Amino acid sequence: MESAEADEYAAFVKKMRRTVYLDNLSPHVTEPVVRTALDQYGTVKSVQFIPNYFEPNNLPRCALVEMEKEKQAEVVVSTLSHYPFMMSGMPRPVRARAAEAEMFSDRPRKPNRRNILFRWVPPTDPDFEVANKLKRLAKRHADETAVMLKHQMDKERELAKQQSETLKANYKKYEGIDSVMADGTARRLARYYGMRVSDDGGPSTFH
Amino acid sequence: MVEIEEIEKLEFKWGSKKGVGGKNKDIRFYESFTFDGLEYALYDDVYLYTDAENLPHIGKLIQIWEAPDKSKKVKVLWYFQAFEISRYLVVELTQPNEIFLACGKGPGLANINPLEVIAGKCNVVCISKDSRNPQPSDEELQMADYVFYRTFDVEQCIILDKIDDQIAEIDAKFIFNRVRSLEPNSGHTPGVDNKHASENAKETTERMTLRTSSYENRHPEDYKQEEVADGVAEKLAADDRQDNATFNKTASSLKVEEKSDLKVPSVNPVVSPREKPVSGGGTESGQPTKTDDRQGNTSCENIGLSHNIIDEKMDRVGNSFVSQVQVEEKLKFTEVLGESNERPRKKAKVDSSVNVSDDKNKIHVLKPNHDSDANTSKPIVPNFTASEDKSRHAIDPLGTAKESSKKLKVDDNVAKPTGGKSQKKPPVWNPNDGIKTSNKMIEVTRRPNSDKSNWFTELPWEETMREAYECGRLVLFQNLDPAYTSEDVESIVWSAFREICTAKMLHQTAYSSPHSGQAFAIFRTSEMAERVVRELDEKCLLLSNQRPLVARMPTVCFPKKQATFPGHLALDKLKSQREMKEAVSTSHASQPNTLQYEMAFEWRLLVKRSDLVWRQLYRCIFDISRTKRKLFCEASYQFGFLSRPSAYERWWKPDSTVFSQMLFLTKVRLCYLLNWIEYGKIKA
Repeated sequence: MESAEADEYAAFVKKMRRTVYLDNLSPHVTEPVVRTALDQYGTVKSVQFIPNYFEPNNLPRCALVEMEKEKQAEVVVSTLSHYPFMMSGMPRPVRARAAEAEMFSDRPRKPNRRNILFRWVPPTDPDFEVANKLKRLAKRHADETAVMLKHQMDKERELAKQQSETLKANYKKYEGIDSVMADGTARRLARYYGMRVSDDGGPSTFH
Repeated sequence: MVEIEEIEKLEFKWGSKKGVGGKNKDIRFYESFTFDGLEYALYDDVYLYTDAENLPHIGKLIQIWEAPDKSKKVKVLWYFQAFEISRYLVVELTQPNEIFLACGKGPGLANINPLEVIAGKCNVVCISKDSRNPQPSDEELQMADYVFYRTFDVEQCIILDKIDDQIAEIDAKFIFNRVRSLEPNSGHTPGVDNKHASENAKETTERMTLRTSSYENRHPEDYKQEEVADGVAEKLAADDRQDNATFNKTASSLKVEEKSDLKVPSVNPVVSPREKPVSGGGTESGQPTKTDDRQGNTSCENIGLSHNIIDEKMDRVGNSFVSQVQVEEKLKFTEVLGESNERPRKKAKVDSSVNVSDDKNKIHVLKPNHDSDANTSKPIVPNFTASEDKSRHAIDPLGTAKESSKKLKVDDNVAKPTGGKSQKKPPVWNPNDGIKTSNKMIEVTRRPNSDKSNWFTELPWEETMREAYECGRLVLFQNLDPAYTSEDVESIVWSAFREICTAKMLHQTAYSSPHSGQAFAIFRTSEMAERVVRELDEKCLLLSNQRPLVARMPTVCFPKKQATFPGHLALDKLKSQREMKEAVSTSHASQPNTLQYEMAFEWRLLVKRSDLVWRQLYRCIFDISRTKRKLFCEASYQFGFLSRPSAYERWWKPDSTVFSQMLFLTKVRLCYLLNWIEYGKIKA
């Protein structure tokens, strides 16, 4: 019994090491997408999305991807942190981290863990007050995190808006330049002024 | 400096006096005071307001007084944060939360400010390897808001490593960490300290000591504190006046005086041979912060604490007779607790239970064995390991210590749940005792497997959950230890309610708290579910580590298809063209020469920032709840604030809104962030 547990847990730990936790995924991202995306780094054994059962509904999705080898998982994590990796859309990069035990909802028990103790505290007990306060505290903390989450979503939206505006502006600029180049106005002007026009093309943008 | 008129009326009370001075002897110096619910003492590190937009300053109170025109002033010795001296910061920060103490002479060293600009307490730990500095423990370091070991000379504008003997005419010992017993120099502290090596104790070392000492302020035996204090103060004044350097002397003489003058309440089971050294220590120099010796001596924690409670009562009842009563009750209580088991444990409905689930949490959940109704506040857990050590004040209640002098070895008890020493009746573990509603901790038994169907696999969980949710059979448990597994949850439910359920721990994501977990549980009928929620609401189920289980009927929304995702931009024109072509499966790493690369980095920055903020938030939450849990069996709510009086706690009042807390939290977090950013910049 003991050793079986220990084995199970050891196996789980190994699995955990091979797993990458992906964050900031778009809701459009599906399993095959993730698979193909990470295939370049190694064999993907399984992809599991973490469902979000609470509000806000717009939270970026997260997924646990199990690779074949631990090394591959490490490679994924390091590459994704050095180069922004885009999945199904830009420019929000996908974040990757090594997975932790608590991210798995079906993890086995850690062996040699002390047993859980509990006790009921009746209302007459002087501890009751404190326990109640702790409960309220816990609820309050939950609320605080919810608020924090909301703040974060707001900030994200702001950034997204700001970026989209900059993007549009940039795009317009490029369009302008492109059209000018395309219909020869630039060249004519250049000849008129005696300047040279090089034909770089400029950096690629959103294509 | 903020105008005094602008600040709202905040509660204020002077603590113990230190002396008088000034030309006409009309300036009163103090060693402690209470302001807006927090106790401050001389040499405390505090946050000070600048204005609403800027981050607060950090300083050390080196003088506190009240001018003849009744205005209260403090002289503050400044700490510099990284971003304040970035120009001169040619050396690296060794830690992100490192600050520098000002030294030298000239502007920028210290300032006189009105007392009202104090915003809260700050936990600054000195990590200097100087031999004069008591080294902080790991716990302390973790709890510290800031650390420092270097100083910034304001005259030469350079950073110095060595701390001189005196800074701003303050002895170096007040610069260094205050020793547990609150005696900066006390060599005997370790001796006195012995019992507990519990880390906890160290954590709240300074804080606690200060706390308890300040509580003592309000306490003294005879209610006429003012007069006594005055008397003593006068003597002090006679001895020595506003001379910073001789704080020690004054403090010590104060101690000596008081010890002889005041009668200390008899309750002192804690009195034990320990007293001797402690008393000896008492006469030692300086506990400048110990000011409160009105009563002469803060005792070892328990007593200190019990005094506190008694203090509180005193304040309310204002009756020294009552205090006697309390004292006696307390005595009874300690007797009960004591090794001598004179009274059968079971006696009152109030049993004590020793709760040692964790090394960290060496708190006894002890309850006094009193029946008196007048006793609204219960004596504090004697085992307030935290404070104990701290107030090693020679407590010696002049001999009135009672017979049951077993030095309430509470600490011992704490330290060894199963150890031989502790003769606490209620065993920590009661393996498979079945369901008892006594206050002992009961071990959780695994749920019977008979009912568990083996053909439930992963996928169907969501379906079953959905169904359950619609029928009202779904319950959400919160505040679980994140290390629990789904089976644990099921076992807990089984042991506590005798109900079977299928539970699933929720995944932890980047945004969920690393300190508390949640789980869904599906019951067979909705009545069961409701019953569980109701019971958990009305009564309290405490799990290991003093975490009450919180349950509620959740509002669950199942993930739907979302159309928009902030952060994925598309150009409208191109979008329509490419929608077909651009199979959603493209993914790539972008190259540095693209616009998207830059934008991606903006997102990264945002994510990193929010990460930091989350981390801080959870750290705060964790700290608050952990320290609150330690204060188990605290009667009075104020005690909830006892430990960890950092700045944000100032706002943490039951009636303030979440938002204001968040705001302040974010503000304080910004302090951290700025420091971290500086740190990052310098590193890079």
